[in-house]
Amino acid sequence: MDEQAELQEFQARIARGEKIEPGDWMPEEYRKQLIRMISQHAHSEIVGMLPEGAWITRAPTLRRKIVLLAKVQDEGGHGQYLYHAAETLGATREEMIDALLAGKAKYSSVFNYPSLTWADMGMIGWLVDGAAIMNQTMLAHCSYGPYSRAMVRICTEETFHKKQGMEQVIKYARGTPQQKAMVQDALNRWWAPSLMMFGPHDSDSPNSAQLIAWGVKTKTNDELRQEFINKMVPDLQLLGLKIPDPNLHYDETSGNWITSEIDWDEFWRVVKGDGPCNRERLAARRQAHENGAWVREALNAYAEKYEQ
Amino acid sequence: MPNDSLAQKILTLADDSFILGHRNSEWAGHAPILEEDIAFANLALDELGHAHLWYELYQELTGVEPDRVVFFRDANEWRNTQFVELPKGDWAFSMTRQYLFDLYENVLLEKLVNSTNERVRGIATKIRAEEIYHLRHTSNWVKRLGLGTDESHARMQNALNELWASALQLFVPLENETELIDANIFPDLKTLRDEWQDKTVSHLSASGLIVPRVLEPRAISRAQHTEHLAELLNDMSSVARLEKFGVEW
Amino acid sequence: MDSQGQKYQVFEKERADLAHRNAGSVHAPDAEMALENARDVFVRRPNCLSLWVVPERAIFSKTVQELRDNAWREADAASDAPTETWLVFQKQGQTARETFVAHVGAVAACSPQQALSRALETFPNKNVFVWWVVPERVIFKSEDADAPSMFAPAHTKTYRNHLAYPVEPIMRELKSAQEMLDE
Repeated sequence: MDEQAELQEFQARIARGEKIEPGDWMPEEYRKQLIRMISQHAHSEIVGMLPEGAWITRAPTLRRKIVLLAKVQDEGGHGQYLYHAAETLGATREEMIDALLAGKAKYSSVFNYPSLTWADMGMIGWLVDGAAIMNQTMLAHCSYGPYSRAMVRICTEETFHKKQGMEQVIKYARGTPQQKAMVQDALNRWWAPSLMMFGPHDSDSPNSAQLIAWGVKTKTNDELRQEFINKMVPDLQLLGLKIPDPNLHYDETSGNWITSEIDWDEFWRVVKGDGPCNRERLAARRQAHENGAWVREALNAYAEKYEQ
Repeated sequence: MPNDSLAQKILTLADDSFILGHRNSEWAGHAPILEEDIAFANLALDELGHAHLWYELYQELTGVEPDRVVFFRDANEWRNTQFVELPKGDWAFSMTRQYLFDLYENVLLEKLVNSTNERVRGIATKIRAEEIYHLRHTSNWVKRLGLGTDESHARMQNALNELWASALQLFVPLENETELIDANIFPDLKTLRDEWQDKTVSHLSASGLIVPRVLEPRAISRAQHTEHLAELLNDMSSVARLEKFGVEW
Repeated sequence: MDSQGQKYQVFEKERADLAHRNAGSVHAPDAEMALENARDVFVRRPNCLSLWVVPERAIFSKTVQELRDNAWREADAASDAPTETWLVFQKQGQTARETFVAHVGAVAACSPQQALSRALETFPNKNVFVWWVVPERVIFKSEDADAPSMFAPAHTKTYRNHLAYPVEPIMRELKSAQEMLDE
């Protein structure tokens, strides 16, 4: 078959709702875009372990400690599933990790913001995981089989991540004056970064249309972002929390909550590596990788000596 | 029933598991390879879970809630061994410590599942299933690092040299422990130590490692701690102590 | 070997009435560590009764689309390797779910190509989209005796289940209280 016929069949398969599997024909650009998306997603999970991981030792109850550790561990697991999905497209995990450590790969900017108090653990769970789940629920229908399966597994597991966060925010919002102040402060700091998680404005998102045509995404960044805002605003307000946006208002005609324009300068600055914690996050990953080098060498040496 | 001795003993089991789980949780996000980051977090989660079960029994015996015991005690009131409170060190140190502890728990739990105390027996049975897997995992790691490269071997030997005398503290009986032994609630730690030593020496030798010729534990009293415990507790209780005990988090 | 070790595909059996199904893969230096890693990566939650790990390079895989071109069959006759058992896996259907190819049976063959052609004859099914064949010899399996320590404890980790966080009833209650106030 010539390329044109292959392409037609590929589009027809996607239209029929079939999954594209490793080994199947796919446009080179589809492969590239997916490797880019999936590896960024994997890196986000791995880097995402750090802001919360830093609070495991300080969790205020035995249960919270166990729950937070299990959540951070799950994030490692989700990174693992996603690297697997990207590997089926021909990328190796070593290459992907090297790219991350070299500062050449992107990951979700939200993890470049610092976690400053314990209440951030609740807010991250509700806002950041909540936003991630919206995106991932969409991607569970992705046309590429391995990515879609990873998403199904991740969404199932992550529901608890969001709910444990919600549980905390509800508690602190109705808790002691100190807890209330802490959780309001956390909302003030995490609101904007969580809206930025959905990516650039549709007009600055050159890949969106193609990804939708390929059945990778079904909604645009702005559509998902609006859904998230509409869901979150009433819930947060119900708890007596104040959303840090003086222009926030409800639009009767569209039924949408309208927010101020996102600070896109900040968005691009953080994406390009100049956020509050970009250097710190990468330094932590590099250090873990370097400190682990002798361990990985020993495992390989043992396998070569004794297992073959 | 020697209830007070039992409570004291249960507290030592809870504190050891808790502090070790706490230390190991520090590896989350920083382990040498992704799969092991997940695996080691499982070990930490299990230890914290085991501590929780023991703290619940402690609460039944004394009325003191687990979160009060964990977050509102000062260092001199903790009853863990110095062995588990030492900083996590490098991967060889953490892995060797976990292995030595897993083997201790395995020989102990093998006896505790036959304890005359029903609650002890029940908890021990639950914990033992997980500890069998822990030992499989950490034994395999010890073997691979002991026999891997010159560097991994040297690091493992160093870790063992540093840890051995501290590990022996696990086998120092409490003051009134004979009451528990006589009532067949707890096994005699002297026999346990022999069994543990035979098994560790055999596996460590097979892994190319030499057990230090040290017979005396580094510390005797569980009320005495290194400076590391106070540091750990300061950090650990910093959020919990923002409010008085009883405020929900 | 690179910094990430070898790659093993993982097959998980979740229920007595279900076959082993591919859940994903792990990186590990050897088969034993691969099996342990598979447990820690894929059995953080119930249910699992048994795990298999297989070095990825030992798997012969074809999608239905790849099978249209018959060139792969040519290597079939060339092998003089001894006959052995190959396990056959299929991806059936197109619905989104967590797992991929599932174990459907075995064939005897002396090469991957022969194993696949026999699998196609023995397990014909119009609804198959991907075929894998794997020599049984290279599969490293958990044993039944491992299950209580490897898999059963996941059932006690209730904190990983979202049902342990009953937040919806609280939000509903707050909402109806708010509505009553508004009226």
